[in-house]
Amino acid sequence: MASGFSDAESSTLTSVLDEIIPPSRDGKLPGAGELGLVDYIADAVEKSPDLKPAILEGLSTLQDLSGGRSSDGFSALSKNEKAELLKELATTSPAFLPGLTYQTYLGYYQHPRVLEGLGIPGRPPHPKGYELEVGDLGLLDPVRARPKRYREC
Amino acid sequence: MPDEVVDVLIVGSGAAGAALAWSLADTRMKIVCLEQGDWMDPAKYPTTAMDWQLRGFGDMGLSPNGRGRPEDYPINDSESPIHVSNFNAVGGSTILYAAHFPRFHPADFKVRTLDGIADDWPIDYRLLEPYYDENARMMGVAGLEGDPAYPPKKPTLPPVPLGKLGETLGRGFNKLGWHWWPSDSAIATREYEGRAPCINLGPCITGCAQGAKASTDVTYWPVAVRRGVELWTRCRVREITVDENGMADGVLYYDAEGVERKQKAEVVVVACNGVGTPRLLLNSVSSHFPDGIANRSGLVGKNLMFHPYAMVMGLFDEPLEGYKGPTGCCIMSQEFYETDPSRGFLRGYTMETLRGMAPLSTALWGMSSGQLSSGEGHHESYQQLWDRTAGMVVICEDLPEECNQVTLDPELEDGNGIPSPRIDYRLSENSKKMLEHCVARGKEVLEAAGARKTYAEAPLGVAGWHLMGTARMGTDPQKSVVNEWGRCHDVKNLFIIDGSIFVTAAGVNPTNTIQALSLYIADKIKQNLANLFD
Ligand SMILES: Cc1cc2nc3c(=O)[nH]c(=O)nc-3n(C[C@H](O)[C@H](O)[C@H](O)COP(=O)(O)OP(=O)(O)OC[C@H]3O[C@@H](n4cnc5c(N)ncnc54)[C@H](O)[C@@H]3O)c2cc1C
Repeated sequence: MASGFSDAESSTLTSVLDEIIPPSRDGKLPGAGELGLVDYIADAVEKSPDLKPAILEGLSTLQDLSGGRSSDGFSALSKNEKAELLKELATTSPAFLPGLTYQTYLGYYQHPRVLEGLGIPGRPPHPKGYELEVGDLGLLDPVRARPKRYREC
Repeated sequence: MPDEVVDVLIVGSGAAGAALAWSLADTRMKIVCLEQGDWMDPAKYPTTAMDWQLRGFGDMGLSPNGRGRPEDYPINDSESPIHVSNFNAVGGSTILYAAHFPRFHPADFKVRTLDGIADDWPIDYRLLEPYYDENARMMGVAGLEGDPAYPPKKPTLPPVPLGKLGETLGRGFNKLGWHWWPSDSAIATREYEGRAPCINLGPCITGCAQGAKASTDVTYWPVAVRRGVELWTRCRVREITVDENGMADGVLYYDAEGVERKQKAEVVVVACNGVGTPRLLLNSVSSHFPDGIANRSGLVGKNLMFHPYAMVMGLFDEPLEGYKGPTGCCIMSQEFYETDPSRGFLRGYTMETLRGMAPLSTALWGMSSGQLSSGEGHHESYQQLWDRTAGMVVICEDLPEECNQVTLDPELEDGNGIPSPRIDYRLSENSKKMLEHCVARGKEVLEAAGARKTYAEAPLGVAGWHLMGTARMGTDPQKSVVNEWGRCHDVKNLFIIDGSIFVTAAGVNPTNTIQALSLYIADKIKQNLANLFD
């Protein structure tokens, strides 16, 4: 329960995160659950009194709904079943998915593994920075050839 | 120093206060600057940590209302489509600024004569030119000589890199035969005066951890302090006090512990920016000045100008490497800068291209614009957006109107109980037409550069970062607050040196002109020391 969620909640949440952002087909980008964003979400939930009830209530509903289909919970369901339940949840707990998706994006697109998967270094910009080409200043030749553009006064 | 009278007391250590302090330092006068914020530690700026993409929305955000640092004062700008953005620290708003560093055009000082609207300035480009040059030496301005949009000027440093993104957009401008040029940028593109060179970190507007961006805490202040100017931080000025003759005799301020103190001075200089300055003047009420100090004209706080901005963005097929390089500085165009009445509005605008988005902003933009799907297809939809965006902000000239104003809010106050400013501002018809025009032209050039889709937002609500006109300069005390060298008409030992004194706003970023003006005012003070109050 290191994350602040129970083991069952963590396991359900990990699967939901992988539904929100699954691994990429080329294997370069991990799924959000596989990336271990549960801790990030737990932290965000603790800091946001608005989000907390929506996430906890959504997870509990999802566990109840899954229980009717498999004794092993949401993670054991097929892809189609997961999608169906999440669709159902969108009507019963409308704040759950939008809030969770937003937090998932925040955690995912700041993660070093994801930055690397996108082709940029998985580190803060400073102190190494980035190389950037000066570019072709010859492109300015037509601009230089034009008359002056300011009003003399 | 409770009883000591300092020679010059400056309030505010931003772009203007720093330049004036540095210039006056060679007089060997006793100069003290009071600043409500503190020194920033660049090692703690967002780009040094993995949460760099998010912190720009938090404690290093643009709005003092959202940021809520103890040194911030809240601003009621609910009656304005444009919201104030600033920073309160040593260096002021230059801590966050994008460092776009253009000069005004000569015609910007002659708006009434040339275009029959607003007012002429009582000074002109030629007079400010040596101060622009001096400011370029002190701040370090990267640029390229030969821009046909300007009288000849020499940059101090090589231009910021175009990168693939700048080249792509430059080709678009060329296709249409429009003007463009690498932006004048207050960024050290190579080592300069002890400052490390720019390493293309990206978001300059959350503070430059490299120290390459010319915020005044790393340019003017270290030199001014070495030369003996005292900079007292976490000192928030409540009011300017007057003696029995109605001359300024010092200020009342709260120190870091919240204790009220008085500091006496021979000369008081206000440099709190176009919103902070009228706020302080209006808060300085006495029997001599029941409507606020230096406000016999009734113009303190009036004529607020912001620069209405448009943001125009395009989605391209190719990656543009837009996540690197100074966010706000790449290339600019002044194709539509000078007045052409056939366009349906007077005056004009500058297009300033932006670099692309970082990974998280891409996702959030994709989410809010409905272009990013979650679940199956997430990565494919993300790849359509990631590193494919390039665009511009367009900065439109605002014109002075008395109804656009800063007053004191009857309820809102800062942590020391000082009344906060309230903004009432609306867009003029001229601005609306200009915004419409620039959005259409912005889309046209992005399409010419290869954008397959374009997007626009105008006016850009967050873009209240240029604060001007609220204590305007002029020769007639009925129609202006300060004279042609920043001295208040009503109080001869009180000077104002920030964007408040602008008569008109031009269609470019103001900081280079704010600093050139404050260097000019400092020179006038030095030249007139013997009879400064005559
Ligand atoms: C996000 C952003 C981007 C920008 N980009 C650009 C750009 O690219 N180019 C450009 O030219 N400009 C830009 N600007 C604007 C630029 O920062 C300002 O024009 C410039 O800093 C104004 O200088 P100033 O000295 O008048 O005021 P400021 O730099 O705002 O300094 C005023 C100082 O006064 C202090 N102060 C205020 N009231 C009190 C008080 N009562 N007691 C004590 N201290 C007080 C404040 O704490 C502050 O430090 C940008 C601004 C922002 C916020």
